[in-house]
Amino acid sequence: MAIDGLIILDANGRPIIQSGYTSFPPAYPLLHIDALNNELAKAPSSGIIDPVVYVSSGGGGDMPDCSACCHIQVREIRMLASISGDMDPLVAFAFLQAFHDILQDYFGTVSTVTLKGNFDTVYQLIEEILDSSGHPLTTSSSILRDIVLPPSLLSTLLASLPASSSSVGRSAGPISLNSTGGAFASPIPWRKIGLRHKSNEILFDVTEEMRAIVGRNGATLASNVIGTIECNSRLSAGMPDLLVSFSNPNVMAECAFHPCVRLQRWKRERILSFIPPDGKFVLEEYQYAPPQKAVVNNLPIPVSLKPNITIGELGGNFMVTFTSRMTKSMENVKIEWYLGEDATGAQCTLSGAGSGVGSTGGAEGSWTFDSRKKTLRWEIPTMHSLGSRILRGSWTSKAQVPRPAHAFQIRFELPSHSFSSVRIDQVRLSSELYKMYKGVRVQSCGSIEWRW
Amino acid sequence: MSTQQGQDAKFFQRGKIEEFRAELQAAESKDKKYQKRKTVLKKIVANITMGNDMSPLFHDVIQCIGTPLLEIKKMVYLYLVSYGRSKPDQIHMVIPSFLQDCNDRNPLIRALAIRTMAYIPIPVVTEALSDQLRHCIKDRDPYVRKTAAICVAKIYVADARKAERAGFVEMLRDMLLDSNATVVANAVAALSEIGDRQDGVIFRLNLTVANKLIASLGESSEWGQIYILDSLLRFVPEEHSEAEMMGERIIVQLQHANSAVVLTAVKVLLYLMNYMENRRLIEHICKKMGPPLVALLSSGPEVQYVTLRNILLIIQRRPTVLKNDVKVFFCKYNDPIYVKLAKLEIMYRLAREENAQEVLTELEEYASEVDIDFVRKSVRSIGRLAIKVEAAADNCIQSLLTLIETKVTYVVQEAVIVIKDIFRRYPGKYEGIIPTLCENLDALDEPESKAAMIWILGQFANRIDNADELLDDLVYNFLDESTEVQLALLTATVKLFVYKSTSETAKALVHKVLKWATEEIDNPDLRDRGFIYWRMLAVNPTLAQEIVLAQKPAITTDSDRMDRGALDQLLLHTGTLGSIYHKNPETFIRNAAGRALVDTPALNPSSKAVLITLSRPHLPPTTVTVQGPGPIEPTPVPSAEPSKSMTSAPSEVGGQGLLDVDDVVTRPDSYDGEADVDGEDEDEVPRKAGDPYANLDNAFGGYLADKPQPIGGGRGGNTNVDDLLLWGTAINTQLR
Repeated sequence: MAIDGLIILDANGRPIIQSGYTSFPPAYPLLHIDALNNELAKAPSSGIIDPVVYVSSGGGGDMPDCSACCHIQVREIRMLASISGDMDPLVAFAFLQAFHDILQDYFGTVSTVTLKGNFDTVYQLIEEILDSSGHPLTTSSSILRDIVLPPSLLSTLLASLPASSSSVGRSAGPISLNSTGGAFASPIPWRKIGLRHKSNEILFDVTEEMRAIVGRNGATLASNVIGTIECNSRLSAGMPDLLVSFSNPNVMAECAFHPCVRLQRWKRERILSFIPPDGKFVLEEYQYAPPQKAVVNNLPIPVSLKPNITIGELGGNFMVTFTSRMTKSMENVKIEWYLGEDATGAQCTLSGAGSGVGSTGGAEGSWTFDSRKKTLRWEIPTMHSLGSRILRGSWTSKAQVPRPAHAFQIRFELPSHSFSSVRIDQVRLSSELYKMYKGVRVQSCGSIEWRW
Repeated sequence: MSTQQGQDAKFFQRGKIEEFRAELQAAESKDKKYQKRKTVLKKIVANITMGNDMSPLFHDVIQCIGTPLLEIKKMVYLYLVSYGRSKPDQIHMVIPSFLQDCNDRNPLIRALAIRTMAYIPIPVVTEALSDQLRHCIKDRDPYVRKTAAICVAKIYVADARKAERAGFVEMLRDMLLDSNATVVANAVAALSEIGDRQDGVIFRLNLTVANKLIASLGESSEWGQIYILDSLLRFVPEEHSEAEMMGERIIVQLQHANSAVVLTAVKVLLYLMNYMENRRLIEHICKKMGPPLVALLSSGPEVQYVTLRNILLIIQRRPTVLKNDVKVFFCKYNDPIYVKLAKLEIMYRLAREENAQEVLTELEEYASEVDIDFVRKSVRSIGRLAIKVEAAADNCIQSLLTLIETKVTYVVQEAVIVIKDIFRRYPGKYEGIIPTLCENLDALDEPESKAAMIWILGQFANRIDNADELLDDLVYNFLDESTEVQLALLTATVKLFVYKSTSETAKALVHKVLKWATEEIDNPDLRDRGFIYWRMLAVNPTLAQEIVLAQKPAITTDSDRMDRGALDQLLLHTGTLGSIYHKNPETFIRNAAGRALVDTPALNPSSKAVLITLSRPHLPPTTVTVQGPGPIEPTPVPSAEPSKSMTSAPSEVGGQGLLDVDDVVTRPDSYDGEADVDGEDEDEVPRKAGDPYANLDNAFGGYLADKPQPIGGGRGGNTNVDDLLLWGTAINTQLR
């Protein structure tokens, strides 16, 4: 049960930084890098390859006979974790994600430049979060900050000064850190003791996403709403014990919680009782369970699409009508349609269907054809209640019989809307005396596949 | 920031050893705040990361170890991690500094020192580390203790017997009772690592410790929870009640945000279910397991992929899990191809009479997509659905015919391949569509579809008026065809001749093919088969007719599941690499101890029936059993257990179950009544070493390249009690 090692590759597939791999021969990490690069070279233009790439070593030396390389892509760079034997790839993926979050927290952006610029910090981080036997250790960045100094403005300044110039050194004396700051003295691993904040506040961000597939007859084939409650906690002192109650906890089903939540208490009383970590974290994930069982897989879709498509030789014509069924306004509507490998271009005109309340000029949105992805993209920044928009046009293709996708991908955002209308009723703080500011924000979005 | 980057980019310039040495020496004097040394060391470390050999600087770098600046210390240690092991004759110089740091005031430095020492597997270092670890295990700072726990596993690797004699295993055991959850989790991780070694002590939990660990789950980080949950597989229930009670306490862990925690909890529950008696509880757990698995599917594609591969295993063993959730696995257009293929397989597994239409409509949708590979597998799935669910067969055939009309070559080819199997499954029902197939003969240009069509032509030569003409055309290029097609042509022409022995064309045709097969072909299979047919036809044509046209056993797809025993064993590895490739880890990695269910009075009869035991090939001469702290259990002495599991199957090798499956899965062709002596599988599909799926087909009856089997060809696993859970409890009570 261990991660053999960690490698970060740049856009060209060359390693930027890698962990020690001390228990393995030097060829082992190279083998993994090669395996991944080979797969990528073999992959079709989309660059999509299996997330777990099998690596065979031919069994030389101390090398595991077979191992696998789990990889994720973050913009131009790829992070990969080597695993072998009785290892859970999900641990590797969860770990890679956590590692990425830490890097982001430390350096702002994760890129070749920032990683190379701060390689010593990255090394120290790897040492702390992945032990020599490959067990993930601490991945909470608030605790890590006590052990590994982030590149602060001060240290940046110091580093840029010539070494001989006498100036303020690290104020803490020759050994800049002389204790772990109680990082591990805390009885709970996700929060350290002795935190101080100027103002005490806790913010809850409830985000719900509807995912659905609509068949060609307009009937919903599959749909669900997944909710996430993200929390940003800035509470002073040791162990602020919070109680969060909902006015309608029963709309939340299949909940998954941050380790800090006391699961038994939730099971008994449907109340979230927890000592929060410091900073941002995901408190809870859930699925919306509508009150009537019958609509579980058949939630009403807040939009509709009427595609009218004729495919001819070397192209085709289309007229697509998009309608919002929401009484609230909808934002950032994006509709994408893959026109097939051979598509060469598209021409469209936009118009409002007139029924929209107060549709203003330019609100029809805009369209673009992405010639690399062969995708037609239609964007509508704001969509007022119950409005309709029409996209008319034609596309050209090199193929005699064009094969466009039989599905439109629709995305939209609904600010301050909740599909489940879940409500945080009360947030209570016990064990600490100070007052805190509480904030709740609700938003929703949708990702609908509409077939024709 | 830009200046910093400019600075650091410089560190990555290739440096000369001599320059670095000179710079380090220069830095010994007039080095305010140690800035100079820091800069040089940073350059050296950067060079190590670029793969430049910095080992000649060993002597110079270790001079800096005494520098009272943590950053410098860390870099020197980083250097030692890289080169320490390659300098066995010089490493003794560092040891005094190591020892000093082990007793530093700062817990970070204490931990850093033992951690670095653990990286250097040189006897003199290990020796020194052993002495220090004794104190560090009892350090007042939990950061040092948790680091020490992991270091114990390292010195165990260096010399297992010595570490045992020094009592380190017992010390680790005591750490399971530490007040700090992180320390407990690391002790568990270290013990697991030791227990997974083939030469390691057997790490088994007793009820008290297992319960204590479950109680500490709430305070652990997600990684700690994973180690602890995984270690629960080392608890062997002696009574049903133990497994049941523990299962109930673990269910709640399914509500965790970390996907790996959820899957590990699922694994433990699946394991414990083998030891449970209470059917209602088993059903309850099955019901509870589905939704969290579904929830994982809302994560990124990587997590989805791993989850889907595991769901595929789980639903084969526990069909009630997710049985009503087929919609969840509908593919989205934007899903990456690997996710789509995994979903497709699960949709097929979950298809029953009740949802067959729904699944079929969805498969038809996929058959019109753009990705060729996905389209092919969708078409093939339609055929498999027809074979699996009789009630849906009519609609499936209809849909296949519609697809053939599209004239898209790869769609037509796939359709022909599956229709061949449908004919086998429902003899005498759908032969009316043969003319439609014949119209599309020209579209077939791949060996598999061509062979399938030729099989149809031969098998139904009596119903196809112009079969001789069609075959004659196909035979035209006989010598250029692949072996698969040649074999099919040989058999088909023989069949044609048997049907139409009066026809001159048929006679000429069979003669031509037999002559080619026996005289012009180098492939021994083809040649021998040619000779067999030839003699048969020459010696006794009537008997030949009986043999060639013998009634074929009908086929089914029910048996394309894995062997139950192998499945049980594989499920102990839920979430691991083995579950992705559907292979036991010890079959593809050395030094990994396999896992197997342990036979105790609590083991279910159904699990017992298919039990695969596992022996540890190299047990240590003295078995040290970690019993765990706390009162000694009245249950059988755990140290007796390992020998029990050993004696029960001394000769069996781990992974045996999978090999069994390999042997049992047979191609339908071999039941074809044809003189089948082919070894063509090996000839035609060279197993690529790099392709993880290369060996997969046989391991679980084919990943979509499904091979329907004769009815009754499956293993005893088909009639197991747990599957009947599907049909409610009424039957189950009878069974008990």
